[in-house]
Amino acid sequence: MRSARLFALVLANLRRSRNHFLLASIGIVVGIATFAFFLALGLGVRAVVLGKIFPLDKLEVVPRSLEVDVGPLRMGLGQDALDDAMAAKLGALPGVTAVYPKMKLTVGSIAYGGESLFGADLRSEIVADGIDPALLASEINKDGYQFVDHETPERLAAEPPKACTADAECGDKMYCGEPPGTTTPRRGTRKKPGPDGQPDQPEPAKVCRHFVPVIVSHHVVELYNGTLRRAHGFPQLNPDAVRGFTFDLIIGESMVETSNQDQVIHDRGMFVGFSDKAIPLGITLPLGYVQRYNVRYNGEDAAQRYHSVILEIPVKDDVAAVAKGVEDLDLKVKDSGAEEAALLIAVFMMVFGLVSAVIVGIAAVNIMHVFFMLVYERQREIGVMRAVGASRGDIGRIILGEAASLGTMAGTAGIVLAVTAGTIFDHVSARYVPDFPYKPTTYFDFPWWLIVAALGFSISFCVLGALLPARRAAHMEPARVLSGA
Amino acid sequence: MIRVRGMHKSYRTGKLVTPVLHGVDLDVADGEMVSIVGPSGSGKSTLLHAIGGLDRDYEGTIEVDGRDLRAMSDVELSAYRNRHVGFVFQAFNLLHHQTCVENVALPALFARGEGMLSREQALDRAREVLGRVDLHDKVDALPTTLSGGQRQRVAIARALFNRPRLMLCDEPTGNLDSVMGKAIIELFRRLNEEDGITLVVVTHDPKIAASTQRTVRVQDGLVLEGAGDALEAEAAAAENSSNTADAEASAEGSADPESADVPEDPADAPAQEALA
Repeated sequence: MRSARLFALVLANLRRSRNHFLLASIGIVVGIATFAFFLALGLGVRAVVLGKIFPLDKLEVVPRSLEVDVGPLRMGLGQDALDDAMAAKLGALPGVTAVYPKMKLTVGSIAYGGESLFGADLRSEIVADGIDPALLASEINKDGYQFVDHETPERLAAEPPKACTADAECGDKMYCGEPPGTTTPRRGTRKKPGPDGQPDQPEPAKVCRHFVPVIVSHHVVELYNGTLRRAHGFPQLNPDAVRGFTFDLIIGESMVETSNQDQVIHDRGMFVGFSDKAIPLGITLPLGYVQRYNVRYNGEDAAQRYHSVILEIPVKDDVAAVAKGVEDLDLKVKDSGAEEAALLIAVFMMVFGLVSAVIVGIAAVNIMHVFFMLVYERQREIGVMRAVGASRGDIGRIILGEAASLGTMAGTAGIVLAVTAGTIFDHVSARYVPDFPYKPTTYFDFPWWLIVAALGFSISFCVLGALLPARRAAHMEPARVLSGA
Repeated sequence: MIRVRGMHKSYRTGKLVTPVLHGVDLDVADGEMVSIVGPSGSGKSTLLHAIGGLDRDYEGTIEVDGRDLRAMSDVELSAYRNRHVGFVFQAFNLLHHQTCVENVALPALFARGEGMLSREQALDRAREVLGRVDLHDKVDALPTTLSGGQRQRVAIARALFNRPRLMLCDEPTGNLDSVMGKAIIELFRRLNEEDGITLVVVTHDPKIAASTQRTVRVQDGLVLEGAGDALEAEAAAAENSSNTADAEASAEGSADPESADVPEDPADAPAQEALA
């Protein structure tokens, strides 16, 4: 029997018995919708939790240190930093495709400014770290904003900064400031002008400079909008509108008096974007800036004192082996809670997968009853088909073809229902659920394989349900049904 | 063409075994028109179904053109029914949700190998065969809108669709009035004489039996050959009573009581003339 004719016959039979099939397929539609909805929800949440909050494709490696509580203090014993040699060893581990060192700024620093945003300039101690800009190139570098180190020695040698007296003389996203690396006496430590009226230390000649690119975590804005702005009566910030915001960075100055340095660096920062790779509470700069600041205040050795290293592991299956390799190097993977989160999500997905399997299973039993009934109703018709040349296989194929078609239609309806429910869910969330850190634009992920799996699931259960009726139909004695015996 | 030897057949209902045929022997030559008569439950239809490959649950052998039907696989037997056999049943057995032309073209759905036709070819051939039974104007009609005689002609057209060499008819006139029944038998005779189709007709009607070249009687599970003379006498008697009954029926405007649920169509009249 030709496939096209089988298909036409199957469709005609489905049309003929549409009421029966419509009722029978309700269970399949609901089951598949449940299956697709919760699996997509699980995948979506997993993508947010493991991709953004606890990225599983990236492991953060920190030095293994023994911590001892001494009274109110906790003392760390052993190394607390990694160097280039260790980073190279980590990069050589099988499965690791890239290594991104992170370095904390180890000197007090102050951010100052914000009148354009808050209505008044703010002065705040900041926590900062540095990260390899390559890690964020694709994420941040767009719309004219760049998260790059503009002041590497190579760049400065190739393109020395030009002298200026005002910001207007410099280009877009540049300002007129002290030459890179210039330190000046901290405010309050400057000596009074000499008898000749000239300051003891002359003001350095200014040059055109790029702003120090700064990124922050979404968490910072959420925290500001959720708590800080209410406490201080500040306006709510639109995250999309704060790109390009500039402020002063004073490295070496601190609100903690003992952390103040005599000489400070006056740079200016520009906020260029958000990233989940940024430090949760603070600002993140390109690694080179932090290295130079640390070297300036802590000596040359500080250039290689990384506080952690991020390993990129594209294949999730390699993560366990890499983690083992990290331990072998006497380092440890920073506990991010990813394993617990992954386990929780896996359990969530498994439970709802099981629930949907039960629903579809019950629906399959219903399908079986309907097909048994239809086979009984159509036994004379089946006898006629056998009399005019249908083989048992042909009859079986017709019944199973109807079941497969029913499964395809019910599965498609279930998937459409799931996608619709997901869209409504997202819409309700976007409109009524308050913002919180990492609140995603969608909670659902419907990859192609999920659609295929849901359809396959639906078709398989329908065909499974129709197997016995199809067998009964195929083995029906045509002589008996045609003679009415 | 057909050679039945030592055929035994029993029906089982739970533990109850009811023997029907006890060692039937029968030969039907190519191009012959044979009627099988006998009392109800004697096994006539059982024998016919076995010859048509609809039933393989018997003992003994049935050979058609030298091929043992029981030795064939299900697919081979299905192909045999599709290509070589045309069935006509008392109850017509048409698919009511399909039009006449689709019913007639039904065997094309299950054709294999060389017998496969495109949908258009199949429908063209179905229209042509419907024309042969004088139903050109009912091509797209649903069987439920036809009279009993018209339905049986659609069933005959379906049986003729694949130009079979063998037609097996199980009480083909059982649901028809005597006039229409006679026309149907005349059609069978023409198919036998003009197209050389071998016909085996199971019937209770002595008139039909008498109109065939040879009659065999199935009785007590055995085939009794040479029942022709007795049947001719029965037929003559039946002819007289049927003429009387027909006259009464015409007077009352009623059809055969057996086909009371099937509306008789006045369109049958020209068809009967054409078939005659």
